[in-house]
Amino acid sequence: MTTTLNRPAKPAAIKPKPTFRQRLNVFDVKASPYLYIAPFFILFALVGLFPLIYTFVVSLFDWHLLKGQGEFVGLQNFTEVLQDRFFWNSLFNTLSIFLLSAIPQLAVALFLAAMLDQNIRARTFWRMSVLLPYIVTPVAVAMIFTNMFGEQYGLINNVLGNFGLDPVMWKSETLPSHIAIATMVNWRWTGYNALILLAAMQAVPRDLYESAALDGAGAVRRFFSITLPSIRPTMVFVVITSTIGGLQIFTEPRLFDPATAGGSQRQFQTTVLYLWEMAFQRQNFGKASTIAWLLFLIIVLFGVINYLISRRIATADAAKPSRAARKRAERTKR
Amino acid sequence: MKFARRHTAAAIAGAAALALMATGCSGNSEQAASADNPVELTVTTFGTFGYDDLYGEYEQANPGIKIKATNIDRGSNARTDAFTKLAAGSGLSDVVAIEEGWLGSIMEVSDQFVDLNEHGAADIKDNWVDWKFKQGTDPDGRVIGYGTDIGPQGLCYNGKLFEAAGLPKDRESVAKLFGGEDATWETYFKLGEQYKAATGKAWYDQSGFVWNSMVNQMEEGYYTKDGDLNVDGNAEMKDKFELLAAGTAAGLSANQTQWDWGNGKAFTDGSFATFVCPGWMLGTIKGQLESAGGGTDSGWDFADVFPGGASNWGGAFLSVPKTSEHPAEAAKLAAWLTAPEQQVKQSAAANNFPSTLKAQEKLVADATPNVLFNNAPTGVILANRAKGVVAQFKGPDDSVIQENVFGPALKMLDAGTADADKAWSEALTLLNDLVVKN
Repeated sequence: MTTTLNRPAKPAAIKPKPTFRQRLNVFDVKASPYLYIAPFFILFALVGLFPLIYTFVVSLFDWHLLKGQGEFVGLQNFTEVLQDRFFWNSLFNTLSIFLLSAIPQLAVALFLAAMLDQNIRARTFWRMSVLLPYIVTPVAVAMIFTNMFGEQYGLINNVLGNFGLDPVMWKSETLPSHIAIATMVNWRWTGYNALILLAAMQAVPRDLYESAALDGAGAVRRFFSITLPSIRPTMVFVVITSTIGGLQIFTEPRLFDPATAGGSQRQFQTTVLYLWEMAFQRQNFGKASTIAWLLFLIIVLFGVINYLISRRIATADAAKPSRAARKRAERTKR
Repeated sequence: MKFARRHTAAAIAGAAALALMATGCSGNSEQAASADNPVELTVTTFGTFGYDDLYGEYEQANPGIKIKATNIDRGSNARTDAFTKLAAGSGLSDVVAIEEGWLGSIMEVSDQFVDLNEHGAADIKDNWVDWKFKQGTDPDGRVIGYGTDIGPQGLCYNGKLFEAAGLPKDRESVAKLFGGEDATWETYFKLGEQYKAATGKAWYDQSGFVWNSMVNQMEEGYYTKDGDLNVDGNAEMKDKFELLAAGTAAGLSANQTQWDWGNGKAFTDGSFATFVCPGWMLGTIKGQLESAGGGTDSGWDFADVFPGGASNWGGAFLSVPKTSEHPAEAAKLAAWLTAPEQQVKQSAAANNFPSTLKAQEKLVADATPNVLFNNAPTGVILANRAKGVVAQFKGPDDSVIQENVFGPALKMLDAGTADADKAWSEALTLLNDLVVKN
């Protein structure tokens, strides 16, 4: 046995130059993930980001629909639109229709989902049925409802007349028109939301209900104390999507009175409808782009509010013990 | 890397080929259509245009031509459609129908339409009544539209309702009742009050159409001949507005929805007894009666009289946009569709009144009774009503003023939520907000 005292010669200090193939491998590992997700981002840049930026550029100009680009006016369009009574009117209408549709819609969807979550006969049939209105195109829905809500010849006013009641001015009065439009929105979206909520409810562990029932909790108590807290994240999702949809509502008010852009006195002119009037009737593309951007900012604002709320809910969900509970636990450890 | 380079090269080659194809299409050397060189032409019309049979006839006579037609329900939607596509720079049909009301906007971008002089417009110029041809010519003398129909106005009335109210029923007596050649709006409203007193029912469907007729009748409408706004401080216009407001306040308006009329029901249930009728409106009424199930017994008739004298409301043009890939074929089709022989057929199908002299003469000579209107010779009557019509200058925002400025103000009158002064000042405010400051 011999011991070598001499260390073996150090390997050459200079690393061999990586071959082309090796470099290609490194490049592959590092760059490929980006390439794989690139299609989405390229598409997003083309059809999302570019229009967004271009719209902003247009909003800085005097831009006529047909005659095209005019003078650069800076933020003048923004100051003018913010002072425009019709813009605020359209925002009020949008919010009013949104609230009139979102709140009842969510309540009814919750109720429907809770019912569908029970052990009922022909479950698939009922679940499919609530989705049916969603399949019908909004234009068809709007045409049928517009007919029903006619002031002089509509079905609803005819029925009211048979009972000796005064006709409701569905199209010329503000609140009735908002209710009518909200009805169309609700008709279309309630079942859809009910199905999403139902999916969330089905993921709630059944043994929770069983033990609650053993402890003597009734159906109502179980719904409010177990079901609702368990589906909160899904509720947040439903609220966010219906907020975005609700603020962009166009088809229903547009077709509710096809002759005008949202009622003869703008009773139900939503912001997107006002944008449309600005662009295609008044032909002021600059201001229309301004309205589009303001609407975008408002939706972002709503999104942030939603985010803050959902973050609170998420922390509540994480089942993190409260500070007091932690202290108590520490005390017992000692 | 080699691969990548080859791919780039291929991509560049592909793009270049596409570009070549694109430029190739916009070349001006257009081959005439034939069986060997099939050409598809797209046509967009609106309302009741009466072209359906003519397309087939043209396809038969011109092998290789295939016509793809689109009809939009009403003029204002056709306007939105045309404006959107003009702004986008693509999508317009080879032949586009343009309404007189928004011709002013189109004239501002007349360079986006083919000058029909390049396709023989000068040779057929004398076909039309001169003012119609002039309307389709831009300030630089470029002809951008061939006239289809014009809208001389007569008075539609419901003979049955007239009889029930103790008014004369036959056309001649009705024309005399309204004052014949000297018919005025004052008489019209006075008779309306008489009718209202006798029956308790409305005289006209809503104020908007009456107002359009009144304004179209003026020598200068919403714009002066020089293209300046002509509403604020226009005493004549305000007087007419007050006259109409007084009539509506007296309950003469049925407050119907324009272009809807409860899907035509209002024409059959006796809601109103008179209706202002430009030629093309006869076609509209026909459609409304059909959808409501009303027939020849619904009582409508057409009198050779119009309050305030001759009036022209509407009428359309056929244009060929520069984006058309077959401008020569499209211009040929537009010229054929608007030629006198075809205008006669169009008039028979759509009940509108032709804009070419020969077609008008033919209509007068034939004097075909219109069954739906109690056998009234509508062609002859419209030819009479066209006498003395002068073209009114239509400004760029004419249709916006009609629909978005006066529309709401008149609706306030109809709904009874404003008096004449309030409605007029509302119109002025809207004019300022929507047009002046726009």
